[in-house]
Order: sequence, then structure tokens, then C-alpha cells
Amino acid sequence: MSTSLTVDIAFGLFSAATVVAAWLVFRTDSMVRAAYWLLASFAGVGAVMVLLHARFLGLVLVLMMAGEMTIMAVFMVMFMMNPAGLNPMTMVHQHRTAKIAGVVAFAGLALVGLVADFPDRPADRGRDPTADLGRELLGDSMLIFETAGVTLLASMIGALALASKRGRYGDAEEGSAPPPLEPVAGPRTGADTVTEPEAEADSGEHAGMSHG
Amino acid sequence: MGIARWLTPLAAGADVPVFTAIGAGGRALADEAALLPGVRLVDSPRAANILLFVGAVTPPLLRPLLGIHDQLPTPRATVWWPGRAVGGGLASALPDLVVGPAGDGDHLRSVFAELLSGERRSEPPALPDQEAAEWRGVGPFGQGGTGMTGGVPYGRPLPSRAPDPDGLELDQLPLHVGPLFPPFPPGLILHIELQGDVVRQATVGDNPFAGATEDLDQDGPPLDTALFVGALTSPTPIGDLEVARARHHLRWAARTLRLHGLESEGLRLLGLARSLAPADRAAVESLAQRIARSRSLAWTTRGVGILGTDDVTGGPVARAAGLAVDARLHDPAYQGLGFSPVVHGAGDARDRLRQRLAEAVQALELAERAGSQLRRPGPPLEGPRGPLGTEDPLPSVALLGLLPRLLAGQEWGDAMTIVASLDLDLEEAAVGQPAPIPA
Amino acid sequence: MNWSSPLPALVLVSAVLAVGTYALAVLDRANGDRVARRRLRPRDAVLQPARAASLLLLTRPTATERPDAQAWALAPALLAAMAAGALATVPLDRGVTVADVDDGIVLFGAAMAIVMVAVYLHGWSANSPLPLLGGYRFIALALSYEMPLALVLIAAALPAQSLSVGAIVESQQGLWNVLRQPLGLPLYLVAGMGLGFWGPLNTSDAPDLAGGTAVEVSGPQRLAWELARRFVVVAVAAMGAAVFLGGWQGPVLPGWAWMALKTLLLLAVVAHLGHRVARVRLERFVVVAWTVLIPLALVDVFVSGALAL
Repeated sequence: MSTSLTVDIAFGLFSAATVVAAWLVFRTDSMVRAAYWLLASFAGVGAVMVLLHARFLGLVLVLMMAGEMTIMAVFMVMFMMNPAGLNPMTMVHQHRTAKIAGVVAFAGLALVGLVADFPDRPADRGRDPTADLGRELLGDSMLIFETAGVTLLASMIGALALASKRGRYGDAEEGSAPPPLEPVAGPRTGADTVTEPEAEADSGEHAGMSHG
Repeated sequence: MGIARWLTPLAAGADVPVFTAIGAGGRALADEAALLPGVRLVDSPRAANILLFVGAVTPPLLRPLLGIHDQLPTPRATVWWPGRAVGGGLASALPDLVVGPAGDGDHLRSVFAELLSGERRSEPPALPDQEAAEWRGVGPFGQGGTGMTGGVPYGRPLPSRAPDPDGLELDQLPLHVGPLFPPFPPGLILHIELQGDVVRQATVGDNPFAGATEDLDQDGPPLDTALFVGALTSPTPIGDLEVARARHHLRWAARTLRLHGLESEGLRLLGLARSLAPADRAAVESLAQRIARSRSLAWTTRGVGILGTDDVTGGPVARAAGLAVDARLHDPAYQGLGFSPVVHGAGDARDRLRQRLAEAVQALELAERAGSQLRRPGPPLEGPRGPLGTEDPLPSVALLGLLPRLLAGQEWGDAMTIVASLDLDLEEAAVGQPAPIPA
Repeated sequence: MNWSSPLPALVLVSAVLAVGTYALAVLDRANGDRVARRRLRPRDAVLQPARAASLLLLTRPTATERPDAQAWALAPALLAAMAAGALATVPLDRGVTVADVDDGIVLFGAAMAIVMVAVYLHGWSANSPLPLLGGYRFIALALSYEMPLALVLIAAALPAQSLSVGAIVESQQGLWNVLRQPLGLPLYLVAGMGLGFWGPLNTSDAPDLAGGTAVEVSGPQRLAWELARRFVVVAVAAMGAAVFLGGWQGPVLPGWAWMALKTLLLLAVVAHLGHRVARVRLERFVVVAWTVLIPLALVDVFVSGALAL
């Protein structure tokens, strides 16, 4: 079997697997499974990129997505009112909007595929795509990438600052129990850093919620 | 089956994976089991082939014990080292139960060998295999109920919400841990509300030993501090008391080390504790110093579970917090021995470890100096957890009361460190407590 | 022999993983017995892992209430596959690399990133609280491992001016990276032990969770999991030997022997640390990882980069 035929078959298999995995994202009942089907789909894309000789990009895609899909799963579990995400739940909501969006997106992409005039510039076999990528990143496109990079870094630092251990109830390391609804006699770690009016405002809020 | 025939003789030579469940009066014996050659204690019943139950079964322990039993994979067998009292319905619930000579590793291994060779049948489950709640899900995945999360497929309510330390409203996962959870002292039940791995709230459950201590035996309470309790009423050599104190602290330290991932160091301590004599002081001291100086151990335990001098009244926990209280200071028996209490200051889990290690070394020194001197009976007497025979409640009672406040807001790992660092004894806490009224 | 063709590749990777894992198990046992002052006949010490494994094979698997059965079965297979994939990029002798790709280091990093998926799935799918906590613990720490790991590997790639592991080994002719980049190997070992959740960094399968993600597994399933996590440690050790200890280079002995000796050395270090260093506290470790380990790894990259220019 010639190499090019093997590559063609592999390309077909990985593309099909990518589409099937993407479809399964919406056919499962579990947030974690949905996230990891999506990862499987991305891994398929990564494999296709490797077949297209963009080995570095393909591998980096898998590397990044493994972490990102895991984090997505954790965030979904955190934000859903579902005991540790262990209850089954449907992954499909807002059916009509979803259908319209899906059809429009497909039609748009198909149109582009049919109408656009794709360039036909066969790459030189001897070129190293990784080296080309490096030159691009630190050459002509440096400004764009550095701007994006610094923006992302700043937002990460901002997010860390927001989630830091200096929380609403004081330093997390001093014990992180929130102020109680009713005053408690005796020493209580953490609560001493909270000023009096704040603590009162809090207890009022919680009391209100428990009535509501 | 051909492969099984090949594997069986090989597997018969394996260390017997044993899960220990500890009932009344079984703790010291369970520690000994860790030292048996050819036996390996495992953390989860799923990893064991032998369930070793040590001590007496009180009625509230029976159901959890059977639950653990059914989690063991087959082939499985249950061996019981009953200590003193045989009863409590265990034998009727488990017809294949082997009542073994306590502390006998050869017997344990022979049960295991019979199990593998097929001479002994693997135990059937003791409880019916059914789901804890009826499945009420709708549709192929159960998510067809009401609402985004598909209703309540198990009929269990969705979790309540509560503010977390950062002020967000988060789900709470209720979890009941104990009474046979390996990192806990035997009998401790905690009802924990978890947010992620942060303990938002912990309450201590009913003591399974409550009211049982009188029924179980005739020779006094089955406490691991029995020697000390006996010394309140009869003359006892100081040397014996101090060696028992050192042994108690070393065993506690061994369990704590295992919790922190230093199982092998813990086994070394247990080996020293087994045949402890005043002459072992040098060996204990060098090992204790190495553990107390361990940077990694200090790093995990420093600043965890801080207790101030107001929170505690006596015992090593109080001395670790910087309070120089010790009943031995006023005990006439100790007057000539040059005793002065060891004190640490931070009151965290690290200092409680260093405190007990230092006290173990000191106890061996005192035992050496005291020789065969007798201590005249009478209170108060400093037990390994605190003063005995005083008006105050027994040390474990006071320490148990501290748990909810200490655990609130702690990560799971820190919570386990704190529980271990207090050296609780639920049997001691149960002395004089009436049995709970059956629901 | 062409080690890249499927059958020899499979045989070679499986053989290295099997031998390495067995060596790790024996070393671990020997270290534990030495610390505990337990005596075991050498014959028993050598046979013990095989015996424990056959006992697990004879033990029946168990189930929990409504587990995610497919994911539960997938987790150990995925972990083992990633370890095998990572090992495939390591040159085992001069010219003997199963996956001799230009971007070997990136492939290794991608495989190690999926370790996180495998451990989390293992904790998640049992439908039980303690394994779930174990899985979340691993995620909480995973980035703290991945970042230093990626950075020190990049630093090692700089003098070679290539992402190929073979080129990195070649670049150490004369001076091994362990001396040229003294920060590299310690940081790499910390991260590697974390990825194999080994010893002090075994937070996800820790005794304070009664076994963490592995609480609910028994029999062959437990064996598969225990093997898979040791595969990861072996793959990490082999890569460490190649990238920091000069790989197959060395006098007198053939290349594969040097590679085996260096890998065994790293495995012995890992086995020793497992019994001597207490398990880390999650929060403190994350703080140190981000304020000490990652900055040190960045220093490693900058200094190596400056020297390579």
C-alpha cells in the first residue's frame, strides 16, 4: 500500500471519528462525558493536522485541549445545580434556536466551501512547518500575538487577584467559615477580620434569603 | 481456568491484603496486625481479600460492618479477633465468620490459603444488593424529568446551597463518614457538608460505643488507657505507666505517619512500640528526632488545626499549645524524678506530633529513672490524653467537642490531619454515656 | 531492525514498560522494608510484585451503584496508552526510537497532558464521593506539574536547537544537561512524580481519601490502574534519563545498557523519595509550584536560552 493511500484512509477515518465524537457530545447525559467527547473530537482534528504535516500544531492542539476540556468539565459541574455533577442531565436545550443556528452555520460554511476560490500553492517539501511557525510568531505577526498574549496574561492575573485567598471573609488561611447567622460566643477563626457592619449586612442578607 | 491454575500457587505467596475494621477495645491489637509478616494492611475494603474485625461489636457497628463486608471483592473471608466478648449478632449475620486467635498471623494466612485453594468458600454478601434509593429517572438517560438537571432520578433531593468562603452560593454535598473509616479513630462518625473538597460544616454523629462499655466486659472499660484507669485504684509501678504512655504515643505517631504517606516509617515506630522497654530510649529518641525534624512533614502539618490556650485544658494537646499543665507536676510519685513538662507553643498539628514524640522519649527517661517505684493509687493521674480521675470530663470528650469548630472551612486533607492530630478515643468519650435510643 | 514498524514497536515498548515497572515495584518494596527495618528474603522481595499481581487477577472486580462503566474501564487503558506513547518518543539506544519524530518533546508533553484526563475520569466514573475528590485533587495540581515539566523540557531542547529527543541526547555529548542545566532534573522529577501521583505527590490516591480515585476498584481493574500509574513513572524516568543524563551515551557499555542504568537510577531515587518524604499539603504545594517551581523553570529556560545563543 502506498504511503499516500494510507494517509488518505487515515484522513478519512480521523475525519469521520471527529464528526461522530462531536455528535456524541449532544447525545450523552453527563457533563463530563460531553466535555471528553469534545476532547476526542479535538484529538481527531489534531490527528488530521498531523497528517497534513502540521505535527507541532496538531500535538499542541491535543496538549492544550486536554487541559481545557477538563477545566470546562469542572466548571460545568461547579455551576450546575447538580450534586457533584453525578445526576444525569440533558445536553440539549433551546431546541428551536439550536436548530436554526445549526442550519445557518452549516449553510454559511457550505457556501464558503462552494464559492470561495481556494489558493493552490503546494508547499516546498523541505520546509519545516514548526520553524516557519516560529518565524511567523516572532516576525511579521509578532505584534498581534504579543498583544493577545499580554492581554490574556493580564486577565489571568486579574482573575487570580479576584480569586485570591484574601476573600470576603478575610484571609482564607485563617479559617474560612463565613460569619454565622447568629452571634456565637467564644473565639472564631476568620470572623475577627470582618468589620461589624459588614457582618450584620451579611446576616441580614442570609436571613432574608432563608425566608424567601 | 487454565490460567487460574497457574496463578493460584503464585498468588498464595502474596502478602495477604487485609482491611481492618476496629470495634470496641480493638485498636492496639489492630496496630499489631500491621506488623505481622506476610500481611499488608490496605486503605480500602475493595483492595482486600480478608476483612479483619478486631474488638467487640456494639449494635450500632453491625450494619456499617456488614456494609464494608459486602464491599470486599470475592474471594473473601472475614476473620474476627473478638478480644473479650463474643456476641453482637456478627456470627449470625456472617455464617462463614472465622473467629481467630487474636494476633495470630499464621492463622490469618492459613485462612487466606484455604480461600485461594478453594477449600474455604468465598463469603456471600450479608446484605441485599439493592440501590439505596429507587430509580425515578425518565427517558433513556434519566434526564427526562423536570428542569435543567432532569429532576430527582434517585428520589434524593438536590443539594442545598450555602455561601462558600468567597461569598458564592455553592452546592453542598452531604457525606456521612465513619464509623469504620480508616483515617478516623474507630467509631468516629462525622456528618460532613462538603463544598468541593472544603468541609463547610461537620457534626459529630452518635457514638457507637455509647452505653456499650458496661455490657461488654466485666474487668473494667476496654480502653487502650486501661493501665492508667487501673492505676487510679491500685498501686502501679511508675515504670510501667511511663512505658505504656510512650507506647501509646508511638502508636499514635505511627498511625499519623501512615496518614501522611510515611507508612514505612510508621511501621518502624510500631515495631519499636511492640516490645518497648526503657532501654530503647536511644533508638526511640533518634527516630523521634528525625521525624520531628522532617521538613516535608512540618510543611504539611504546620499551621493546621491551631488550638489556643483558651480552647484546651489538659493533656498533650494543651501542652502543644503552650500550656504547662500536667497532673504529674503535683503527683507525689514523680517528685523525685526531676519531671518537668515538655511544652510547645504553636498548638498546630505539627506541634501535637512533636509534643507526643517528645513526651514518648521523656516517658522512657522517667521509666528508666523510676525503676520499680510504685505509684500510690489516687487521682489525679496524667493519662496519655490528659488528666484522669478529675472532676472534668474525660480528655476525649472535650477534644470531640472541638471538632465542629476546627473542621469548618478546612480542606479535606487538613480536616483528616486535624482529626488524627487530636488522638481521639470514642470509647473513652463513651464512658458513662447512655446508649442512644434506637430509632 | 526497524523499530518504528508496528510489531517491533509494540513489543519493544511493552517490554521496556514491563521490565521498568517490575523494577520499580521491587525497588519500592526494598526501600519500604529498609525504612521499616523489615527483613525479607531477596527471593521473596523479587517475587512479591508478581504474587500481588496474580492475586489481583484472581480477585473478582466489583461495581458501584450506577458507575459510568465505559469511562471507568477506559481510564486505566488511557493512562497506560499515554505512558506508552510518551515512552515511544524516548531513544532507547543509538538510533533506536520507536516514534522518532521531530517534535518528540511536544508529543511527550501532549501524552502527559492526557494523564490528567485519565485520572479525572477514573475518579469521576466510580460515582462515589471519595474517588471524585481524588480526581478533583489531581486537576487542582495538574497545571502545577505541567507548566514546570513543559518549561524544563523546552530548556533542554534549546541547546539542541531541536524538539527531537534524539537531537537532545546528541547535544549532550561532552556535557550532560544535568550539569549544564542544574535546575532541570530536580524540577522535572517533581513534576514527573506528580504526573505519576507517586509518593509525596500522591494526593489523588492518598490514604487520607482511603485510596482516592482507586477506592472503589478491585481485582484486575485495580491491577490495571496500579500498573498504568507505574507505567507513567517509568516513562517519566526514561525521558529524564534521555533528556538530562545523556541518554544512551557512555563509555564501555552498549547504549541500551547505559539507558537502562540511568533509568533505574531515577526510578531508585523516586522509590526512595516515596518512603522518605511526607505527602504534600495541596494548597501549600500549589503556592510553591507557582511562586517557586515555575519561576525557577523560567529561569532555567532564560539561562539555557542565553547560553545557547
